[in-house]
Amino acid sequence: MEAVVVDYGSKLLKAGIASPDQDPPYIIPTKMKRVLEEGEEAGGDGTGNDEEVMVDTVVRGFVSDWDAMEDLLHHVLYTNIGWEIGDEGQILFTEPLFTPKYLREQLVQLMFETFNVSGFYASEQAVLSLYAVGRISGCTIDIGHGKIDVAPVCEGAVHHMASKRFETGGVDLTNLLAQELQKSNPSVNIDISDVEKIKELYAKCASDQIEFEKMQNSYLPEQHTLPDGQVITIGKERYIVGEALFQPQILGLEEYGIVEQLVSSVSNVASEYHRQLLENTMLCGGTAAMTGFEKRFQSEANVSASAIRPALVKPPEYMPENLARNSAWMGGAILAKVVFPQNQHVTKGEYDETGPAIVHKKCF
Amino acid sequence: MSWQEYVDDHLMVDVEGNRLTSAAIIGHDGSLWAGSETFPQYLPQEIAAIMEDFDEPGKLAPTGLFLGGNKFMVIQGEPGVVIRGKKGAGGVCVKKTNMALIIGIYDEPMTPGQCNVVVERLGDYLNDQGY
Repeated sequence: MEAVVVDYGSKLLKAGIASPDQDPPYIIPTKMKRVLEEGEEAGGDGTGNDEEVMVDTVVRGFVSDWDAMEDLLHHVLYTNIGWEIGDEGQILFTEPLFTPKYLREQLVQLMFETFNVSGFYASEQAVLSLYAVGRISGCTIDIGHGKIDVAPVCEGAVHHMASKRFETGGVDLTNLLAQELQKSNPSVNIDISDVEKIKELYAKCASDQIEFEKMQNSYLPEQHTLPDGQVITIGKERYIVGEALFQPQILGLEEYGIVEQLVSSVSNVASEYHRQLLENTMLCGGTAAMTGFEKRFQSEANVSASAIRPALVKPPEYMPENLARNSAWMGGAILAKVVFPQNQHVTKGEYDETGPAIVHKKCF
Repeated sequence: MSWQEYVDDHLMVDVEGNRLTSAAIIGHDGSLWAGSETFPQYLPQEIAAIMEDFDEPGKLAPTGLFLGGNKFMVIQGEPGVVIRGKKGAGGVCVKKTNMALIIGIYDEPMTPGQCNVVVERLGDYLNDQGY
């Protein structure tokens, strides 16, 4: 039986049977609605009921609501993928950098005790994204909905001392965009989920800082019609979203831009690896798929203070178009083909013998 | 049980068809309690550097872990308890107990996970015994 790969993110859960070279079969939002009457939960868009609470199952990359996670996984595994109770297979999870030990243990416990899987493996998203482009060494910059991870990876092992994680992500950019739109369209009330869609449609990165300044003063406004019929104008706000990644002061953070973070992170690794890391930089994650982001990143990298110029990795031709968004899942599919047949995963027997702590010994 | 027996029967065991390349139990001061035949000749300062990393996790990462001149790239371990290193397809696992360091060096086709299980299992046992 084929292994299943699950990549849970702060916004979307990517899951499916491990099939490399293909997009994940199921991409489901991780925001769930809980109907308070009988304590039931529904995934994705439920019908509007009297009392509803929006539940964020995954916050900043880590699972925050385990009951919701269990229901979501139950739905994905049994309904979507078609597992049968009593005949569960093997599962591989991706995880962000610096996942606390107790969270890993809780996940492995959930999978073996509630779901009764026959095998489990977990791997960090940074390593998997590199596998998806056919590399085992390089630097990943994963710009997701809830967090940004910068991780140098050498021969399949993340350098934790040199890696960085930022508690900023697509969700903060959406809030920023909402604020800006409110300023320029004061009479219109925009719902945050609409802002999310607007961000995905319109957000762009100016090709460099000078052009960004120019855009602030003269821009082509566009009209956008919201689902409820109101019309708003979008002009310079679209560029501010992309700029915030290169100038975090816009978000109110006292940090360097993303390129400097990459360079300083790599400088914490032994110098013989610098060239290999910087010349194999990979941008992944939903937010990195913004129009103009890659070009801007490359041009900022060319003028950066480092002696070796960071260069972006080109995905192989046989990989699907939007590799960057789902690279962690695809890398997981590739790894699953190696780990499970070679029995490097945690089996039910080992779990029963050693307990949840086995995950720290076998999965890294 | 003599220390040599611990090394031969508990560290150099068969794990799903694979075996460690070499292993040793070394005191915190660098003295060799027992070692397998091919365990590299290490230097006192290498052990001292390992002990420093257990006290201050992250010290070895920039330079790498050395054992008998072999350089290992430090990867994720457990701060203060386990140091793991990689060298090509093989690597090393160092577990600190109350009085000793248990070191296991492995190579293909053994997996890091198998090495960890062997080394850490003995380490936990020795910790319980007070060593």
